Amino acid sequence: MYALRRWWERYGIQTALVTAALSTALFVRQTQGGMLLETYQLITRPFQGNPAQQDRLATAQAQELQQRLIELESRNQRLEELLGFVSAKKTKGVTAPVIGRSADHWWQQVILGRGNQDGIQVGSIVLSPGGLVGRISNVTAHTSQVLLLSDPSSRVGVTISRSRFMGFLRGKAANRAVMEFFEKVPDVRRGDVVSTSSFSQLFPAGIPIGRIESVDLNKSPAPEAVIELTAPINYLEWATVYPNSANLGEPQLISPPVPTADETPAPKATP
Amino acid sequence: MNMALEDLFDRHPISRPLVNWGVTVISVLMCLLVLPMRLPGMELAGIGPNWLLIWVVAWSVKRTMFQGALAGLILGLLQDGMTSPSPTHALSLTLIGVLTARLQKQRYIEEDFISVALIVFGMAVLAETVTAIQFSLQGGRSLMEIWTYHQFVALSSAILSSLWAPVVYFPLNRWWERMGLIEQV
Repeated sequence: MYALRRWWERYGIQTALVTAALSTALFVRQTQGGMLLETYQLITRPFQGNPAQQDRLATAQAQELQQRLIELESRNQRLEELLGFVSAKKTKGVTAPVIGRSADHWWQQVILGRGNQDGIQVGSIVLSPGGLVGRISNVTAHTSQVLLLSDPSSRVGVTISRSRFMGFLRGKAANRAVMEFFEKVPDVRRGDVVSTSSFSQLFPAGIPIGRIESVDLNKSPAPEAVIELTAPINYLEWATVYPNSANLGEPQLISPPVPTADETPAPKATP
Repeated sequence: MNMALEDLFDRHPISRPLVNWGVTVISVLMCLLVLPMRLPGMELAGIGPNWLLIWVVAWSVKRTMFQGALAGLILGLLQDGMTSPSPTHALSLTLIGVLTARLQKQRYIEEDFISVALIVFGMAVLAETVTAIQFSLQGGRSLMEIWTYHQFVALSSAILSSLWAPVVYFPLNRWWERMGLIEQV
């Protein structure tokens, strides 16, 4: 008993401090740094709200419009055969400033300065002038973390807008991504526009992503193409967050009627 | 400033560990909050310095292996909270805490910024290698991609971290030395 008390007198405070530090660290890890991110948002608030680089945005926006046009044109033939189409009503998005980047080099993430107070949820889609950026992976009251398309762990089902050949895309750092085709001999060439396909569970179909930069048809097991993402991921300052609903990118079919309750986000497939 | 602190410590002995730990905790918090920032001069091809690694090295240089490991574990868990918990950062930072303490710098190497910067350089490369190994074992990414990216990340992170190491090391070391001196008296 005496030995125990002496030990406590000597090491008591240290033990208590270490325990406190360890439990704080575990708490932060379990809550995915929620409090830290909130503090960060509070501190960086005076520096937010820089107007975005207008010229870069303008060219990116023009590119996006062009891509959407190509996407629509190539789908036109298909649409004409069907009856009962209406153009989808555009869901309203939340515009959020980018307040931080990833806290580590191995993850391609971005921190936005809006959170679930503004209606952002895990799984929401993040767009910027230029196209798809990523999806929300973590939300606190005033911040949200975006897993970028260029992260190697994000997988998206994509399609070539011109020839409708399908494949999936995985990130490859910076603003590049690799597309793997499902077919052995896809009809694809440099400059083709790539957008999300209807097979994608995490993203609505028809959102522009980027252009084909190079194609490697001899790659085994499946042909691959390198895609240049059109969204300015490296110097992103603003992004728009939309809830994940099917009518974001594609006009919706009225017949057969789609039940409105079906608008719940698609089941989470681990990316 | 000095006098005021001494006075406070003399009058309330309990305040000394409190102030000491308060400064330590605040320094960790600052390192954490600076992690997502990419200020001009702190960035090389989109990669910033690894502030937590610098902190762990600064802490462990003059401490025991156990203390180094503990600091690495705690800061690793904190960084997990900021990014993604798998693979964990706790492993690489714990290893770095132990190794830095093991170096016994005060016995073999002269005390200056250059040697600390060199230690940080080596440890940053080591930390990224540990992470790359974790990714390789975890699967999901192709090995070739991981290790090509590793070369790029390890080099940029090591260069930047070692350049910025004195900013963390110098004030913290001064503070801990002073607290140590006061405690000895």
